[in-house]
Amino acid sequence: MNFPLPDWLPRSNTVNLLAGAFLLSALYAAAQRRLLAAVTAYRWNSVALGLLAATVALATGARHIAVAAALVFAGKAFAIPALLARAARRGEGDTVDEPFMGVPAAMLACGALVVVAFSQTRALFGEGETILASCLPVSVAATLVGLFVMVSRRRALMQVIGLVIVENAIFLAAVSLTFGMPLVVEMGVLLDLLAGVALLGLFVGRIEETQGDSDTTRLRTLKG
Amino acid sequence: MAWLAPLLLAAPLAGVACALLGRSAWTPRVLLAAAAVELAAAVALVARVLAAGPFTAANGWLHADALSALLAAAIAGVTLPCAWYGTHYMAYVVRRDDTDARWAPGRYEAILLALLACMLLAVSANNLGLMWIAIEGGTLASALLVGYYRRPGAVEAAWKYLVLASVGIALALLATVLLYYSAGRVFGEGGRALQWTQLRDAARALDPRFVKLAFLFALAGYGAKAGLAPMHSWLPDAYSQAPTPVAAIMSTALLATSLSALLRFFAVTAGCTGAAWPGGLFAIFGALSIVLAVPFLLVQGEYKRLLAYSSIEHAGLVTLAIGFGTPLAIFGGLLHLFVQSFAKSLAFLLAGTLGRGAHSRRMDHFGGVLEASPALGTLLVVAGIGLVGLPPAGTFVSEWLSLAGGFASRHGTAARLALVALVVVFLGLAFHWSRMVLGRPREGFADPLPRGSHAPLWALAGAVLVLGVFLPGPVRSLIEQASKVVRP
Repeated sequence: MNFPLPDWLPRSNTVNLLAGAFLLSALYAAAQRRLLAAVTAYRWNSVALGLLAATVALATGARHIAVAAALVFAGKAFAIPALLARAARRGEGDTVDEPFMGVPAAMLACGALVVVAFSQTRALFGEGETILASCLPVSVAATLVGLFVMVSRRRALMQVIGLVIVENAIFLAAVSLTFGMPLVVEMGVLLDLLAGVALLGLFVGRIEETQGDSDTTRLRTLKG
Repeated sequence: MAWLAPLLLAAPLAGVACALLGRSAWTPRVLLAAAAVELAAAVALVARVLAAGPFTAANGWLHADALSALLAAAIAGVTLPCAWYGTHYMAYVVRRDDTDARWAPGRYEAILLALLACMLLAVSANNLGLMWIAIEGGTLASALLVGYYRRPGAVEAAWKYLVLASVGIALALLATVLLYYSAGRVFGEGGRALQWTQLRDAARALDPRFVKLAFLFALAGYGAKAGLAPMHSWLPDAYSQAPTPVAAIMSTALLATSLSALLRFFAVTAGCTGAAWPGGLFAIFGALSIVLAVPFLLVQGEYKRLLAYSSIEHAGLVTLAIGFGTPLAIFGGLLHLFVQSFAKSLAFLLAGTLGRGAHSRRMDHFGGVLEASPALGTLLVVAGIGLVGLPPAGTFVSEWLSLAGGFASRHGTAARLALVALVVVFLGLAFHWSRMVLGRPREGFADPLPRGSHAPLWALAGAVLVLGVFLPGPVRSLIEQASKVVRP
């Protein structure tokens, strides 16, 4: 059942290192209880993603990936973290999130998710010596870690951070699977993402305004 | 391009105009004029597609076939009456100076037009990436509208909707990437590999494992947006908290948009793996949505939440009918998607008048509508028979065709299950409706809106009833051609 991987781009130490940084920063965000620290983790996550895209652009010489890498730096490493940090400071400040699960247990769960992601991706795509072999398992693992952050946190902003990590992971899959989609599509996707985060930040503010804090477990008035 | 330009440009231009006009008597008029232009453009597109067949425009970015034309007609066809009713309703909300409606003037109209523009772009996009961008844009616009009122319930509903829809749309992006990957191996890099027309024609050459993976993610992602169970939990909250005209548009036009994305993925997957595999998944999730909605429909106390669960049921029925895979069932499913839009938007718009008149959201506070206002009572009855699919409503024909096609398919059990569920829904809604329509009117109940607000409701009621007894030739051939798009 192994699928032959495309031999477009060999994996290299640079790619491996950046993929590792990508995954570690996602895990760092999952381990944080302070909002601003998690935003910083997301910023490093985006920087690793942008560098990966730039590496692919250098190796393939494709101009549209170079532009996409620049957009990733501008949008995901600067604009979105700035929006998130502003939302965090404007509201309750840099508060501590009380997760449903302690940090050691959460780390254990994330470790298990990473193991599952790596083994299952290997089973589907097989071993390989290309960029896919480095990036695809990392992408799947980061998706799972991001979803875990979304379900294990109370604070609205922490859930947004989980969501943007999932989106970064899908972007990584796009870069490593297809070397990025057509430029117009990439730009539209990033624009939508930026608007989405701005909107989520707006609603975090509304939640704080209407109930005094941003504990999403208290959003339970609508039922049935 | 000339045929699509007015369809795609009227709404965004009018939206900018509304944002600039702000508080002016012209703002609602611009909204209505734009909605009317969109309807005319959609009808023109239908005529063009029927006369000269499908066409691709704008360098392969746009594509109009019978499915796009049908959905554009449905979207524009319900948005015009909803916006028309909305001018009366929103004027009432603002005039009463609800403490919770503090929006800048013109912003409601501008965002509604942005939503309309995104929906029309999504159904006429040929590039799957462009379709994704349009659907995500529509999600953001509709989330803003769901949070129109600043009360805690609306904020909660908008938050849930935004978070769940964002996760769904992220999965849909992954589906798009996977399909692009499998197509890139056939076409090479470049925009062509994302074009739906190319993917459809080359479906056989795609790698079935990636196409299957892509279909699963698309089903979860766009299915969450369409409100298919079990990804539906945001839907009753969002529909019940959104302003009434917005809820009516979301439950009909936006639902049709999300389903159209699913149908595009379905067509490619069916071409690649054969229709049995994606059809089986459609049948499972469709039947699950119908069955899951039934208990909530029976015990529901709030009128708008009842309609929301009815929306889940109808989305399930359309998905199930496409999953059956017989030509009759697919025809019935698409007809149902078209006709239920008119019935459901009528029912939702009535929620505005009744709820504001009775100062309550609960159905047991709506008693005796027929005696209090014969016109509203009649409209409510039409909406009711439209929702349950009784003759002479058009939904009777479409449900009957869907299930008849289902009995002839491999999924006979699912068809029987759906039939039982529909009968139970009928009994439940008959109970709710008899309490609302009959009996003694509640004291102090009065229609709070001017008489002019009835005109769009009568137009929708007329559409529901006429389509039940007479299916015009062009509509019929359009749906026949659209079935061939879904399943060649």
